[in-house]
Amino acid sequence: MSYLWKVLRINLSTGSVEKEPLNKEWAEKYFGGKGLGIKYLYKELKGGIDPLSAANKFILATGPLTGTIVPCSGKLAIISKSPATGTILDCSIGGHFASQLKFAGYDMLIVEGRAEGPVYLEIDDDKVEIRDANSLWGKGIFETESRLHKEHGVEARVLSIGPAGENLVPIACVGSEYYRQAGRGGIGSVMGSKRLKAVVCSGSKDITVPDMPRLLELVKKAIREDVLTDTNLGVYVDGTPQLIDMSQTTGVLPTRNYQDGVFEGAQKINAAALRELKPQVKACFACALGCGHYTCIKDSVVEGPEYETLALVGSNCGVADLEAIIKFNAECDDLGVDTISAGNVVGFAMEMTERRIRDFGIRFGDIETYLKMPRMIACQEGIGRELSRGVRYLAKTYGGTEFAMEVKGLELPGYDPRGSWGMGLAYATADRGGCHMRAWPIADEAFGKLDPFTIEGKAQLVITGQHYNAIKFSLILCDFWALSLETMSKVISCVLGREVSVADLQKAGERIWNLSRLFNVREGFKAADDSLPARIFKDPLKSGTPAGRVLPRDQFDSMLREYYQLRGWDSNGAPTPEKLKELEM
Amino acid sequence: MKLILDTKKCTGCKICELACSAKHQGVFNPKKAHLKIIDYYTETGREMGFKSCTLCLKCVETCPVEAIAFNEKWLVIDDALCTDCGECVDICPEGVIFLNGEGTAAVPDFCQGNPSCMEWCPHGAIHKEEAAV
Repeated sequence: MSYLWKVLRINLSTGSVEKEPLNKEWAEKYFGGKGLGIKYLYKELKGGIDPLSAANKFILATGPLTGTIVPCSGKLAIISKSPATGTILDCSIGGHFASQLKFAGYDMLIVEGRAEGPVYLEIDDDKVEIRDANSLWGKGIFETESRLHKEHGVEARVLSIGPAGENLVPIACVGSEYYRQAGRGGIGSVMGSKRLKAVVCSGSKDITVPDMPRLLELVKKAIREDVLTDTNLGVYVDGTPQLIDMSQTTGVLPTRNYQDGVFEGAQKINAAALRELKPQVKACFACALGCGHYTCIKDSVVEGPEYETLALVGSNCGVADLEAIIKFNAECDDLGVDTISAGNVVGFAMEMTERRIRDFGIRFGDIETYLKMPRMIACQEGIGRELSRGVRYLAKTYGGTEFAMEVKGLELPGYDPRGSWGMGLAYATADRGGCHMRAWPIADEAFGKLDPFTIEGKAQLVITGQHYNAIKFSLILCDFWALSLETMSKVISCVLGREVSVADLQKAGERIWNLSRLFNVREGFKAADDSLPARIFKDPLKSGTPAGRVLPRDQFDSMLREYYQLRGWDSNGAPTPEKLKELEM
Repeated sequence: MKLILDTKKCTGCKICELACSAKHQGVFNPKKAHLKIIDYYTETGREMGFKSCTLCLKCVETCPVEAIAFNEKWLVIDDALCTDCGECVDICPEGVIFLNGEGTAAVPDFCQGNPSCMEWCPHGAIHKEEAAV
């Protein structure tokens, strides 16, 4: 079966290890990954708990496609309450961990409580042990993983945190296979708060499907005709750095803390510049594409840098030196720091210093000081202790709220909404705060054919994108396979052996989106929180196509109102009882 | 026959292992594949390895009931003779023989000359070599 109908529940306070059946009714409505993880968390958490307390839970969820040959199905969803924002948090991490968890016999792992001292979890099929991790505590992700490979073999897959997670840094990530991350919302600090250094997993169980020959035929055709297309293969050839040129030419590339959207050094950090440094491509489990560009420069090795890192750690910090960006990136990956948030806090500190609001001792383009930042942030040294707490905290404490580039406390990714207005709504309404992974309307706006400087039709565009991604991240499929809902329906129907129509998928996507909203409403989030940094409304962009543009506040407000109306939510952004009834929630 | 992996082209996606277990065992399970891609990072870079039948014929020599034979191209097993003792599994230096759970050992036969792994590899990283033993 593609579901194993088993949840592994581990309580680190009591040391209990339980195996329980997966809730079938929820699996039918929420499928897996993001949706099912949020359903469990919503049911099991009380509103208002401290995300870094023992009351929070850390959920690893696979989906019904995990472990099968369906392409781009290798990712793992991690679900928790975010220490950075207080919202729901679901992250996605590539590599091979998810498939190992499934082959070990579990659809989902729920970690509760808090251990007395550092521990790691060893999962090898039915054998599940909570093991001492004192000797790993304080180590980086690379060393942790290498040591665990020595102990458990290189075929076991590892999720771990670095010093940032241990030190409860709100911008700490979880790493796997050295260079893959569940990056955002401080998920690494949730592990740290549980004193959970790592999870090691290997499995040897079968995944079955009702009609293997039919699935193989369907998948083979899909790989040939729909996955290995010229458009999709862009990620194999150049990876996400291909976006640097697109953002630069459309004027939305965050530059010097979003003061500009065109970076004079862009050609030094684009895909063409990176091409020479790349010996190989690595893929996640069952991915026919492969987007992990293993890159070497002098003594630094990294997988990436991805577009978001190039934009936030590069242009947003005024840094056009690839070697420096790669070093910064590799340090963050090892120490367990999210590069998007790190690039934002460093860029913010640079602007604060240059505007003489507060001297953090770092200026745009100052590579020497900049390279010290990841360690100072992760290990809580000097100004790193302050920076690690995020842009929202820095602005509240030292000023600069006008240019604190965050939504709900989560720092913004690499697309300036002044040059693609729908992106503004996508950031403002994303369930975990400023995130580009919930809807990506810029593909149709600045990077596509729609007028980026109008709100016309954008609310619906964002809604459609949010539903599509919500179901996609629940099945679980990766962004980089831009498949139609029709193809998705064929694949999932074949794997489950029951008809799941396009309409069923759309409805499930909407249900999942409403559920994450219910979680946030319970945490006290209101319409006023669905907003954007003042800079987006007030400071015009300086260069390129969007020169002179802001996203006007009144336009944004009408777009948001339309969004609530189309969603059947009240004026405070809460789902109405009628809507919940319609979605059978 | 032998299988060769071009480690420059291999992305480590393991679709080959899935295609193998799906074809021969009707399940998805890399532990039941007749080839193995080993792919991980160390502190100095990427490490890759490949395991598949090299036709060393140790299994043929070891089998106590002579159930495994070499037909000059690949291995063949006579299921009627196999006692499921697992000696071939233990002796295989590549780790690509396993017990199929249905009373016999599963030995690699390169899909009788048209390897499924090769056909499925999205980046053309697996090749066959018609080398003599």
